[in-house]
Amino acid sequence: MTATSEQIRRVKVRPNYDHVAWKWMRYSALLLIPLVWFHVILQDVIVGVHTMDLDYVAQRWANIGWRVYDALLLGFAMAHGMNGVRQVANDFIKGERARTIMSWALFIFWLAITAIGAAALIGGVRQDFPLN
Amino acid sequence: MEIRLRVFRFQPEKDQRPRYDVFTIETDPTERILDLLEYVRGDVDGSLAFRRSCAHGVCGSDAMRINGRNLLACKVLVKDLGTSEITVEPLLGLRVIKDLIVDMGPFLEHYKSVMPYFINDDIPADGKEFLQSPEQRARFDDTTKCIMCAACTTSCPSFWSNTEYVGPAAIVNAHRFIFDSRDTGAAKRLEVLNEQFGVWRCRTAFNCTEACPREIKITQAIAEVKQVLTSGKLE
Repeated sequence: MTATSEQIRRVKVRPNYDHVAWKWMRYSALLLIPLVWFHVILQDVIVGVHTMDLDYVAQRWANIGWRVYDALLLGFAMAHGMNGVRQVANDFIKGERARTIMSWALFIFWLAITAIGAAALIGGVRQDFPLN
Repeated sequence: MEIRLRVFRFQPEKDQRPRYDVFTIETDPTERILDLLEYVRGDVDGSLAFRRSCAHGVCGSDAMRINGRNLLACKVLVKDLGTSEITVEPLLGLRVIKDLIVDMGPFLEHYKSVMPYFINDDIPADGKEFLQSPEQRARFDDTTKCIMCAACTTSCPSFWSNTEYVGPAAIVNAHRFIFDSRDTGAAKRLEVLNEQFGVWRCRTAFNCTEACPREIKITQAIAEVKQVLTSGKLE
Protein backbone atom coordinates (compact mmCIF):
# COMPACT_ATOMS: atom_id res chain seq x y z
CA MET A 1 0.00 0.00 0.00
CA THR A 2 1.28 3.45 -0.81
CA ALA A 3 0.90 5.35 2.40
CA THR A 4 1.48 8.87 1.20
CA SER A 5 2.54 10.67 -1.92
CA GLU A 6 5.83 12.55 -1.58
CA GLN A 7 5.85 14.00 -5.09
CA ILE A 8 6.23 17.76 -5.41
CA ARG A 9 2.84 19.42 -5.64
CA ARG A 10 2.50 22.28 -8.05
CA VAL A 11 0.01 25.06 -8.31
CA LYS A 12 -0.62 27.57 -11.05
CA VAL A 13 -1.41 31.17 -10.17
CA ARG A 14 -1.60 33.77 -12.90
CA PRO A 15 0.86 36.61 -12.20
CA ASN A 16 -0.92 39.94 -11.83
CA TYR A 17 0.21 43.56 -11.72
CA ASP A 18 1.17 43.57 -8.03
CA HIS A 19 3.02 40.28 -8.33
CA VAL A 20 5.06 41.64 -11.25
CA ALA A 21 5.63 44.98 -9.45
CA TRP A 22 6.91 43.14 -6.37
CA LYS A 23 9.33 41.09 -8.48
CA TRP A 24 10.37 44.17 -10.44
CA MET A 25 11.28 45.97 -7.21
CA ARG A 26 13.69 43.19 -6.27
CA TYR A 27 15.21 42.45 -9.67
CA SER A 28 15.70 46.12 -10.54
CA ALA A 29 17.34 46.63 -7.13
CA LEU A 30 19.78 43.80 -7.90
CA LEU A 31 20.62 45.38 -11.23
CA LEU A 32 20.94 48.83 -9.70
CA ILE A 33 23.62 47.73 -7.27
CA PRO A 34 26.37 47.25 -9.93
CA LEU A 35 25.05 50.10 -12.10
CA VAL A 36 25.03 52.64 -9.27
CA TRP A 37 28.26 51.45 -7.65
CA PHE A 38 30.14 51.64 -10.90
CA HIS A 39 28.67 55.09 -11.54
CA VAL A 40 29.65 56.35 -8.06
CA ILE A 41 33.16 54.86 -8.16
CA LEU A 42 33.86 56.26 -11.62
CA GLN A 43 32.36 59.72 -11.14
CA ASP A 44 33.23 60.41 -7.52
CA VAL A 45 36.41 58.42 -6.97
CA ILE A 46 38.25 57.83 -10.25
CA VAL A 47 37.30 61.10 -11.99
CA GLY A 48 36.34 63.14 -8.93
CA VAL A 49 33.57 65.70 -8.64
CA HIS A 50 35.97 68.67 -8.74
CA THR A 51 37.45 67.77 -12.13
CA MET A 52 34.04 67.15 -13.68
CA ASP A 53 33.10 69.94 -16.11
CA LEU A 54 31.17 70.43 -19.34
CA ASP A 55 34.21 69.30 -21.28
CA TYR A 56 34.28 66.01 -19.41
CA VAL A 57 30.53 65.48 -19.83
CA ALA A 58 30.74 66.18 -23.57
CA GLN A 59 33.65 63.76 -23.89
CA ARG A 60 31.82 61.09 -21.98
CA TRP A 61 28.59 61.48 -23.93
CA ALA A 62 30.46 61.35 -27.21
CA ASN A 63 30.61 57.61 -26.56
CA ILE A 64 27.39 55.72 -27.37
CA GLY A 65 28.19 53.09 -24.71
CA TRP A 66 28.13 55.70 -21.95
CA ARG A 67 24.92 57.20 -23.27
CA VAL A 68 23.20 53.81 -23.15
CA TYR A 69 24.64 53.12 -19.69
CA ASP A 70 23.42 56.47 -18.34
CA ALA A 71 20.01 56.11 -19.99
CA LEU A 72 19.61 52.64 -18.43
CA LEU A 73 20.70 53.91 -15.05
CA LEU A 74 18.19 56.75 -15.23
CA GLY A 75 15.37 54.50 -16.43
CA PHE A 76 15.98 51.74 -13.89
CA ALA A 77 16.60 54.04 -10.96
CA MET A 78 13.50 56.11 -11.74
CA ALA A 79 11.33 53.03 -12.27
CA HIS A 80 12.57 51.50 -9.03
CA GLY A 81 11.94 54.76 -7.18
CA MET A 82 8.52 55.36 -8.72
CA ASN A 83 7.43 51.84 -7.84
CA GLY A 84 8.54 52.53 -4.26
CA VAL A 85 6.55 55.76 -4.24
CA ARG A 86 3.53 53.85 -5.59
CA GLN A 87 3.76 51.34 -2.74
CA VAL A 88 4.05 54.06 -0.11
CA ALA A 89 1.20 56.04 -1.71
CA ASN A 90 -0.97 52.89 -1.60
CA ASP A 91 -0.78 53.13 2.19
CA PHE A 92 -2.54 56.48 2.14
CA ILE A 93 -4.81 56.40 -0.89
CA LYS A 94 -8.16 54.74 -0.37
CA GLY A 95 -10.31 53.46 -3.21
CA GLU A 96 -9.52 51.53 -6.34
CA ARG A 97 -10.12 54.46 -8.73
CA ALA A 98 -7.80 56.83 -6.84
CA ARG A 99 -5.09 54.16 -6.76
CA THR A 100 -5.40 53.57 -10.51
CA ILE A 101 -5.09 57.32 -11.20
CA MET A 102 -2.05 57.51 -8.90
CA SER A 103 -0.36 54.55 -10.65
CA TRP A 104 -0.90 56.08 -14.08
CA ALA A 105 0.29 59.51 -12.90
CA LEU A 106 3.51 57.97 -11.58
CA PHE A 107 3.99 56.00 -14.79
CA ILE A 108 3.56 59.14 -16.91
CA PHE A 109 5.97 61.02 -14.64
CA TRP A 110 8.53 58.20 -14.98
CA LEU A 111 8.08 58.15 -18.75
CA ALA A 112 8.47 61.94 -19.04
CA ILE A 113 11.61 62.14 -16.89
CA THR A 114 13.19 59.13 -18.59
CA ALA A 115 12.33 60.51 -22.04
CA ILE A 116 13.72 63.97 -21.23
CA GLY A 117 16.86 62.43 -19.73
CA ALA A 118 17.33 60.04 -22.63
CA ALA A 119 16.76 62.85 -25.15
CA ALA A 120 19.45 64.91 -23.42
CA LEU A 121 21.80 61.93 -23.41
CA ILE A 122 21.25 60.82 -26.97
CA GLY A 123 20.60 64.09 -28.75
CA GLY A 124 21.91 66.71 -26.37
CA VAL A 125 25.59 66.84 -27.33
CA ARG A 126 25.65 68.81 -30.52
CA GLN A 127 28.88 70.75 -30.17
CA ASP A 128 32.08 69.53 -31.73
CA PHE A 129 34.65 68.09 -29.38
CA PRO A 130 36.85 69.54 -27.93
CA LEU A 131 34.78 72.52 -26.89
CA ASN A 132 36.10 76.02 -27.42
CA MET B 1 5.15 46.26 45.17
CA GLU B 2 3.07 49.28 44.19
CA ILE B 3 2.28 49.85 40.55
CA ARG B 4 0.54 52.59 38.59
CA LEU B 5 -1.81 51.05 36.07
CA ARG B 6 -2.87 53.45 33.30
CA VAL B 7 -5.86 52.09 31.43
CA PHE B 8 -7.22 53.41 28.12
CA ARG B 9 -10.89 54.28 28.51
CA PHE B 10 -13.25 55.15 25.69
CA GLN B 11 -16.92 54.70 25.07
CA PRO B 12 -17.58 56.11 21.58
CA GLU B 13 -21.32 56.68 22.22
CA LYS B 14 -20.65 58.85 25.28
CA ASP B 15 -17.08 60.15 25.21
CA GLN B 16 -15.78 62.93 23.00
CA ARG B 17 -12.26 61.53 23.20
CA PRO B 18 -10.41 58.73 24.95
CA ARG B 19 -8.85 59.18 28.39
CA TYR B 20 -6.53 57.22 30.64
CA ASP B 21 -7.65 56.20 34.12
CA VAL B 22 -4.86 55.60 36.61
CA PHE B 23 -5.14 52.96 39.31
CA THR B 24 -2.54 52.58 42.02
CA ILE B 25 -2.44 48.93 43.00
CA GLU B 26 -0.48 46.98 45.59
CA THR B 27 0.43 43.71 43.94
CA ASP B 28 2.94 40.86 43.69
CA PRO B 29 5.53 40.91 40.89
CA THR B 30 4.25 37.49 39.86
CA GLU B 31 0.71 38.69 39.18
CA ARG B 32 -0.40 38.81 35.58
CA ILE B 33 -1.65 41.96 33.85
CA LEU B 34 -4.97 40.16 33.45
CA ASP B 35 -5.14 39.80 37.25
CA LEU B 36 -4.71 43.56 37.62
CA LEU B 37 -7.49 44.24 35.15
CA GLU B 38 -9.73 41.71 36.90
CA TYR B 39 -9.02 43.46 40.19
CA VAL B 40 -9.91 46.87 38.75
CA ARG B 41 -13.12 45.58 37.19
CA GLY B 42 -14.12 43.50 40.24
CA ASP B 43 -13.17 45.86 43.07
CA VAL B 44 -12.69 49.40 41.75
CA ASP B 45 -14.56 50.17 38.54
CA GLY B 46 -17.06 47.66 37.22
CA SER B 47 -17.52 49.61 33.99
CA LEU B 48 -14.08 48.67 32.64
CA ALA B 49 -14.49 46.55 29.51
CA PHE B 50 -12.00 43.98 28.24
CA ARG B 51 -12.14 40.52 26.71
CA ARG B 52 -10.91 37.38 28.42
CA SER B 53 -11.80 33.74 28.30
CA CYS B 54 -9.41 30.92 29.16
CA ALA B 55 -6.83 33.14 30.88
CA HIS B 56 -4.08 30.67 30.01
CA GLY B 57 -2.76 31.88 26.67
CA VAL B 58 -4.83 29.51 24.56
CA CYS B 59 -8.00 31.32 23.52
CA GLY B 60 -6.34 34.56 22.39
CA SER B 61 -9.12 36.79 23.73
CA ASP B 62 -7.06 39.19 25.81
CA ALA B 63 -4.54 40.49 23.30
CA MET B 64 -3.88 44.17 24.02
CA ARG B 65 -1.13 46.75 23.98
CA ILE B 66 0.82 46.60 27.20
CA ASN B 67 3.46 49.29 27.51
CA GLY B 68 3.27 49.74 23.74
CA ARG B 69 3.64 46.09 22.75
CA ASN B 70 0.99 43.63 21.63
CA LEU B 71 0.82 40.94 24.30
CA LEU B 72 -1.66 38.57 25.91
CA ALA B 73 -2.62 40.03 29.29
CA CYS B 74 -2.82 36.49 30.71
CA LYS B 75 0.76 35.64 29.74
CA VAL B 76 2.56 38.73 31.01
CA LEU B 77 3.64 39.02 34.62
CA VAL B 78 4.17 42.41 36.29
CA LYS B 79 7.86 41.56 36.81
CA ASP B 80 8.26 40.79 33.06
CA LEU B 81 7.70 44.47 32.28
CA GLY B 82 10.51 45.66 34.53
CA THR B 83 8.66 48.80 35.59
CA SER B 84 5.97 49.88 38.02
CA GLU B 85 4.35 52.10 35.36
CA ILE B 86 2.05 49.96 33.25
CA THR B 87 -0.06 51.31 30.40
CA VAL B 88 -2.76 49.13 28.91
CA GLU B 89 -4.38 50.07 25.58
CA PRO B 90 -6.52 48.37 22.94
CA LEU B 91 -5.02 46.82 19.81
CA LEU B 92 -4.22 49.30 17.05
CA GLY B 93 -5.84 49.33 13.62
CA LEU B 94 -9.27 48.09 14.73
CA ARG B 95 -12.19 50.26 15.87
CA VAL B 96 -12.59 50.55 19.64
CA ILE B 97 -16.00 49.35 20.79
CA LYS B 98 -15.37 50.11 24.44
CA ASP B 99 -12.18 50.56 26.49
CA LEU B 100 -9.93 47.61 25.61
CA ILE B 101 -12.45 45.86 23.36
CA VAL B 102 -11.96 46.31 19.63
CA ASP B 103 -14.17 45.35 16.70
CA MET B 104 -12.67 42.09 15.42
CA GLY B 105 -15.05 42.10 12.43
CA PRO B 106 -12.58 43.30 9.74
CA PHE B 107 -9.91 40.95 11.10
CA LEU B 108 -12.26 37.96 10.90
CA GLU B 109 -13.43 38.96 7.40
CA HIS B 110 -9.82 38.78 6.20
CA TYR B 111 -9.48 35.42 7.94
CA LYS B 112 -12.58 34.11 6.16
CA SER B 113 -11.35 35.40 2.79
CA VAL B 114 -8.49 32.86 2.67
CA MET B 115 -10.82 29.86 3.21
CA PRO B 116 -9.24 28.64 6.44
CA TYR B 117 -10.71 25.14 6.26
CA PHE B 118 -9.78 21.83 4.70
CA ILE B 119 -10.73 21.51 1.03
CA ASN B 120 -10.69 18.14 -0.68
CA ASP B 121 -13.65 16.57 -2.43
CA ASP B 122 -11.71 13.50 -3.59
CA ILE B 123 -12.32 10.03 -2.19
CA PRO B 124 -9.32 8.72 -0.20
CA ALA B 125 -7.51 5.76 -1.81
CA ASP B 126 -8.56 3.44 1.02
CA GLY B 127 -12.02 4.97 1.17
CA LYS B 128 -11.46 6.07 4.75
CA GLU B 129 -8.83 8.76 5.24
CA PHE B 130 -6.16 10.86 3.59
CA LEU B 131 -2.78 9.72 4.84
CA GLN B 132 0.16 11.99 5.46
CA SER B 133 3.80 11.32 6.35
CA PRO B 134 5.33 12.94 9.47
CA GLU B 135 7.49 15.08 7.13
CA GLN B 136 4.43 16.31 5.23
CA ARG B 137 2.73 17.14 8.54
CA ALA B 138 5.81 18.95 9.78
CA ARG B 139 5.74 21.23 6.73
CA PHE B 140 2.92 23.34 8.16
CA ASP B 141 3.27 22.51 11.86
CA ASP B 142 4.32 26.02 12.88
CA THR B 143 1.26 27.72 11.43
CA THR B 144 -1.17 25.33 13.14
CA LYS B 145 -0.30 27.07 16.41
CA CYS B 146 -2.24 30.27 15.63
CA ILE B 147 -4.84 31.21 18.27
CA MET B 148 -6.34 34.11 16.29
CA CYS B 149 -5.53 36.70 18.95
CA ALA B 150 -4.84 39.35 16.26
CA ALA B 151 -1.61 40.47 17.97
CA CYS B 152 0.28 40.02 14.69
CA THR B 153 -2.13 41.75 12.33
CA THR B 154 -2.60 44.73 14.66
CA SER B 155 1.16 45.17 15.06
CA CYS B 156 1.67 45.36 11.29
CA PRO B 157 2.44 48.83 9.88
CA SER B 158 0.93 47.85 6.52
CA PHE B 159 -2.33 46.97 8.26
CA TRP B 160 -2.30 50.18 10.32
CA SER B 161 -2.01 52.27 7.19
CA ASN B 162 -4.58 50.34 5.21
CA THR B 163 -6.89 47.82 6.83
CA GLU B 164 -7.80 46.39 3.43
CA TYR B 165 -4.54 44.41 3.72
CA VAL B 166 -5.42 40.79 4.46
CA GLY B 167 -2.86 40.79 7.31
CA PRO B 168 -0.39 38.31 8.81
CA ALA B 169 -2.94 36.20 10.71
CA ALA B 170 -4.96 35.43 7.58
CA ILE B 171 -1.77 34.55 5.68
CA VAL B 172 -0.63 32.27 8.52
CA ASN B 173 -3.95 30.45 8.42
CA ALA B 174 -3.81 30.20 4.64
CA HIS B 175 -0.26 28.81 4.93
CA ARG B 176 -1.54 26.10 7.28
CA PHE B 177 -3.78 24.72 4.49
CA ILE B 178 -1.75 25.66 1.41
CA PHE B 179 1.13 23.45 2.58
CA ASP B 180 -1.12 20.61 3.79
CA SER B 181 -0.46 17.75 1.34
CA ARG B 182 -4.06 16.51 1.73
CA ASP B 183 -5.63 19.82 0.79
CA THR B 184 -6.59 20.74 -2.79
CA GLY B 185 -7.65 24.37 -2.30
CA ALA B 186 -4.22 26.01 -2.56
CA ALA B 187 -4.89 27.67 -5.92
CA LYS B 188 -8.06 29.37 -4.63
CA ARG B 189 -6.29 30.70 -1.53
CA LEU B 190 -3.26 31.82 -3.49
CA GLU B 191 -5.51 33.74 -5.85
CA VAL B 192 -6.75 35.78 -2.88
CA LEU B 193 -3.24 36.28 -1.51
CA ASN B 194 -1.94 37.32 -4.94
CA GLU B 195 -4.21 40.37 -4.98
CA GLN B 196 -3.08 43.93 -4.30
CA PHE B 197 -3.94 43.60 -0.61
CA GLY B 198 -2.59 40.09 -0.28
CA VAL B 199 0.96 39.03 0.54
CA TRP B 200 2.55 41.74 -1.61
CA ARG B 201 1.59 44.33 0.99
CA CYS B 202 3.96 42.69 3.48
CA ARG B 203 7.08 44.83 3.89
CA THR B 204 8.87 42.30 6.12
CA ALA B 205 8.86 44.61 9.13
CA PHE B 206 8.92 41.51 11.41
CA ASN B 207 6.54 43.20 13.89
CA CYS B 208 4.17 40.24 13.51
CA THR B 209 6.83 37.68 14.35
CA GLU B 210 7.83 39.69 17.40
CA ALA B 211 4.23 40.11 18.57
CA CYS B 212 3.08 36.50 18.18
CA PRO B 213 2.48 35.00 21.64
CA ARG B 214 2.76 31.52 20.10
CA GLU B 215 6.17 32.30 18.58
CA ILE B 216 5.06 31.42 15.07
CA LYS B 217 7.64 32.44 12.47
CA ILE B 218 5.08 34.58 10.70
CA THR B 219 7.36 36.58 8.41
CA GLN B 220 8.88 33.30 7.24
CA ALA B 221 5.43 31.85 6.57
CA ILE B 222 4.52 34.93 4.51
CA ALA B 223 7.79 34.61 2.58
CA GLU B 224 6.98 30.95 1.86
CA VAL B 225 3.61 31.92 0.43
CA LYS B 226 5.32 34.55 -1.75
CA GLN B 227 7.75 31.84 -2.84
CA VAL B 228 4.90 29.55 -3.90
CA LEU B 229 3.30 32.38 -5.87
CA THR B 230 6.61 32.92 -7.63
CA SER B 231 7.71 29.31 -8.20
CA GLY B 232 4.42 27.39 -8.21
CA LYS B 233 6.04 24.64 -6.09
CA LEU B 234 4.21 23.65 -2.95
CA GLU B 235 6.97 21.76 -1.15
